[in-house]
Amino acid sequence: MTGDGLLRPVVWVHGDCLDPGGPALAVHPGAPALWVWDDALLEHWGIGLKRIVFITECLLELPVAIRRGVVPTGVIAFAREHGADHVVTTDSPSPRFRAIVAAVETEFPVVVLPVPPFLPYAGPIDLSRFGAYWDVAKRHVFGQPPLF
Amino acid sequence: MTAPSEEFRCEFADREDLIAYLKAQFPEAAARDDRVSPIRGGRRAADAAMKRLDPVDYAASRNYLSGTVTRLSPYLRYGVVGMAELRDAILHRAGRKGVATKLLNELGWRDYFQRRYAQIGNGVWQDQGRLGTGYAPDEYGEELPEDIATGTTGLACIDAFSVQLRTIGYLHNHARLWLAAYLVHWRRVRWQTGARWFLGHLLDGDPASNNLNWQWVAGALGHRPYVFTRENLEQYIEGAYCAGCPLYGRCPFEGSHADHAARLFRPEPGLPTGGAR
Repeated sequence: MTGDGLLRPVVWVHGDCLDPGGPALAVHPGAPALWVWDDALLEHWGIGLKRIVFITECLLELPVAIRRGVVPTGVIAFAREHGADHVVTTDSPSPRFRAIVAAVETEFPVVVLPVPPFLPYAGPIDLSRFGAYWDVAKRHVFGQPPLF
Repeated sequence: MTAPSEEFRCEFADREDLIAYLKAQFPEAAARDDRVSPIRGGRRAADAAMKRLDPVDYAASRNYLSGTVTRLSPYLRYGVVGMAELRDAILHRAGRKGVATKLLNELGWRDYFQRRYAQIGNGVWQDQGRLGTGYAPDEYGEELPEDIATGTTGLACIDAFSVQLRTIGYLHNHARLWLAAYLVHWRRVRWQTGARWFLGHLLDGDPASNNLNWQWVAGALGHRPYVFTRENLEQYIEGAYCAGCPLYGRCPFEGSHADHAARLFRPEPGLPTGGAR
């Protein structure tokens, strides 16, 4: 959704958007922002300390509160604490991301901001093989109009 | 306003202070693996890596273990640096199209895998095609062999890659492919086992690039499986492992691609094996 008419956002920061200048933080620089350690995912993927330290070093450069637990529950609680009327986040292809957004949407509207694309091209593209993808991608990725 | 949940500390005296705090907060993760990578997280570290970006050297030497690689993958994985931002930096730094192509092609692999991930979701954990090895999925082992997990196979290259994975959380792309091919084809272990092992350690591990690369090695993306020869490996490691390897002369990677295919796979008509990406 677009967020028209919504005034009091909180930003949910997840593992695909840890740039301080990324879409959600850039659009709402003063809004309260949150990261939630996904305890179930850490366990499921067998994540060790290396990755936790690396992610935390990224988070320490962001204006976020850091919590842990069940992600949608944490995001909803954070939005309530701050009297928010919607949640803003940055897009991700992850199915877990979509499930979390759907769960948060049971309580708050969620605005998902797009990431600037690697390929400035929105037409059809064959993903059956990398070669077929690259045949199209290489005509657009250099920032020039296609030859044909 | 309701009462806030307990929040993590955000101020630390130094990295040791941070590490000690996180060990205490995540005892289960630390019990799995309490090593910490020398690679630092954060935008400032990413900017430093961006400054070292050299598309010319990359194009010439990226396949060599000592060659120039960007080391930007951990930052890309978490969106600390964006794909569009990096594309623009490469084009600016390269100056002309030909120089930028190799690096943009590698970024293209990441974009390609992200797009497939958006399509298939958790299907990244399932074979996307029939395995091209002649074996059924249930003919592969489930467990990660202890000697690979601990870097004690006796194979100098494989053991070094295992150690790097666990201590640094980063492996050169070629080392990833060789380690994956060894686990899946020489030891006949399910690629999912290897993918999970990598995800636990690689700073840049994400289910899209990680799993689909494992599927590519395993031959589960509808094409031939990936194998390598000792000659391939020695060309790119520049003598780093073979000469001092206790198994030199008895190396399981000795031989041609055809030799390995005949030894490791069940013959299937119309599925030639071998070659590099």
